[in-house]
Amino acid sequence: MAACIKRLDRAMFSIRLLRNVQLHNERSLSTSLHRLALDSEPPSKFTPPVKPVIIDKTQSVASLRKFLSPEFVPPRQRTKPVKFTIERKDMIRRRKVLNIPEFYVGSVLAVTMTDPHATGKNNRFVGICIQRGGRGLGATFVLRNIIDNQGVEICYEMYSPRIQQIEVLKLEKRLDDNLMYLRDALPEYCTVDTDMKPHPFSTTGEVPVNKTKVRMLPKPWSKRWERPKFNVKGIRFDLCLSPEQMEHAQKWAQPWVEYDMLKEYDTSKLEEDIYAEIQQEAAAK
Amino acid sequence: MAAWTSRFLLLRAPCFAALRTGGVSESPVLALGCVRTLKNTTWFEEHLTEDNQKYMRKSINEEYRRQTVEKLNPLKDEPWPRHAWTEGSRRVGLVAVKLGMVPVWTKTGERHVVTMLQVQDCHVVKCLSKEEFDGHTAALLVGGKNVSPFHRSEETMEMFRIAGVPPKQKVTTFKVSDNAIIKPGTPLYAAHFRPGQYVDITAKTIGKGFQGVMKRWGFRGQPATHGHTKTHRRPGASGPGGDPAKVFKGKKMPGQMGNYFDTAHGLKVWRVNTKSNVLYVHGSVPGHKNCLLKVRDTILPRRSSSLLNPPFPTFFTEEEGDLAEDLYDQDMFVYTEPSLTLAD
Repeated sequence: MAACIKRLDRAMFSIRLLRNVQLHNERSLSTSLHRLALDSEPPSKFTPPVKPVIIDKTQSVASLRKFLSPEFVPPRQRTKPVKFTIERKDMIRRRKVLNIPEFYVGSVLAVTMTDPHATGKNNRFVGICIQRGGRGLGATFVLRNIIDNQGVEICYEMYSPRIQQIEVLKLEKRLDDNLMYLRDALPEYCTVDTDMKPHPFSTTGEVPVNKTKVRMLPKPWSKRWERPKFNVKGIRFDLCLSPEQMEHAQKWAQPWVEYDMLKEYDTSKLEEDIYAEIQQEAAAK
Repeated sequence: MAAWTSRFLLLRAPCFAALRTGGVSESPVLALGCVRTLKNTTWFEEHLTEDNQKYMRKSINEEYRRQTVEKLNPLKDEPWPRHAWTEGSRRVGLVAVKLGMVPVWTKTGERHVVTMLQVQDCHVVKCLSKEEFDGHTAALLVGGKNVSPFHRSEETMEMFRIAGVPPKQKVTTFKVSDNAIIKPGTPLYAAHFRPGQYVDITAKTIGKGFQGVMKRWGFRGQPATHGHTKTHRRPGASGPGGDPAKVFKGKKMPGQMGNYFDTAHGLKVWRVNTKSNVLYVHGSVPGHKNCLLKVRDTILPRRSSSLLNPPFPTFFTEEEGDLAEDLYDQDMFVYTEPSLTLAD
């Protein structure tokens, strides 16, 4: 965009013309049809800076980060590894058809899904991802939004053939890996504009962490989020609970669990192998 | 070994008696010990050093693997005559290992869950003719999953040796029609079943132990409070009173739950992976993960029409070696296809 404006300034044209061009560009961002129309126009005295200046690099370019989707990591259990190998093959096959981008809990997503009951047979939902669940082909994620003052959550199956498109509108992490407490927070924290434009994000480096701490509705909550087992960091407990209550919640703390060696599950080696396998499979197309 | 032990002890006993004056009291103790050490069984590693044991295990393992991978059939006699498929024939089944459950989607976008079953080292072990079995039908013994030969009895090992296959963890009997018998030693593969057909699966259910009526039969039980004492999870009354004056047979009562053989009937085969020999069978099947199950063509009369021209008497790699890696049911969504659009 900046480049576009600079070039136009250099051309020293009227501000009105500039605004027109900008409008054109913005519109043609959403639909390629407009762009075609613009290209096919007979060249007038002024040829506006050509379209590709505003190629939406953030969306078309895949992330360069080394990212392994969590559903690829097999759970720790006595299942034979061949089951996960076969499942992984199917997952990669599906990913070659449908682009499942990198996203995290806390990112804002838009999912287009075939819905036999919707008008036009397609349904687009925008919301904040509050939970990722499941392993293998049964992986899911939950999107939450507030629509007409009513909280709406949709659990999507990542590998369902009914999913047409998954867009990341805003790539960020939050302080927690599970945002189910947004159900009990003030509605403003999970309200997302349904016509939201995709925010640009960098394809390298660390993923930005949104350090928002939410204010909660008065108790009772769906769960006692102050309990140590949830280990929630993104709630302003000082506004809703007294210090005595916070201390009382520590009664359920299990500080020894983190030292339990039987519960250790180091997946770093496994993840390396799976990542290499996926890269190899993707290259073999 | 038993003989050796006793002789050694008996030899020792007189020595002690000769050397010591009070040796008389010791010899009965030794004799008692001698009786105790009598054992009729011997372990295979009894006379082997540790290295030799390791070598034995390794070499046997490799030999068996070679046998199964190369599909060696050590019985060098000519193959048995084959017959054509006729309506009403009973084919042999398979022994498979339960891997776990995954979702599948149909072409209309519906989601089903399926169980993955892997057919692992499955061989025909023995063929019993009509007279040998029960006088009504012929039967085939089929085994699955190779195991160590060292802890099997000699009779069991003899059966496997005759068939020329490694010993198997599970051996089951399939009643087959006379035209469906197969020579012992023939390997069986997942492609024996084809997508779209229906199967029955028998396995031992997960044991729950002795359970009360609430868990076993889903009774309501009684309230926890409101004055109830000592009556919270009990069955209550067990039947009508004076007139029959008895409890009818089959009354649902507490008892052993699970750990018995159960059959799930009429499960659809959605997909067959011929490379790793995996069957995708509709829904859940009895048994825990990694348990060995028996899979056969369904006996349900309304589902038997799904069995049209199956590989008979079984699938032979030499004849149909060019099967695709994955065979799908016609309704199943294949992951290489584009996303569904429900336009009508």
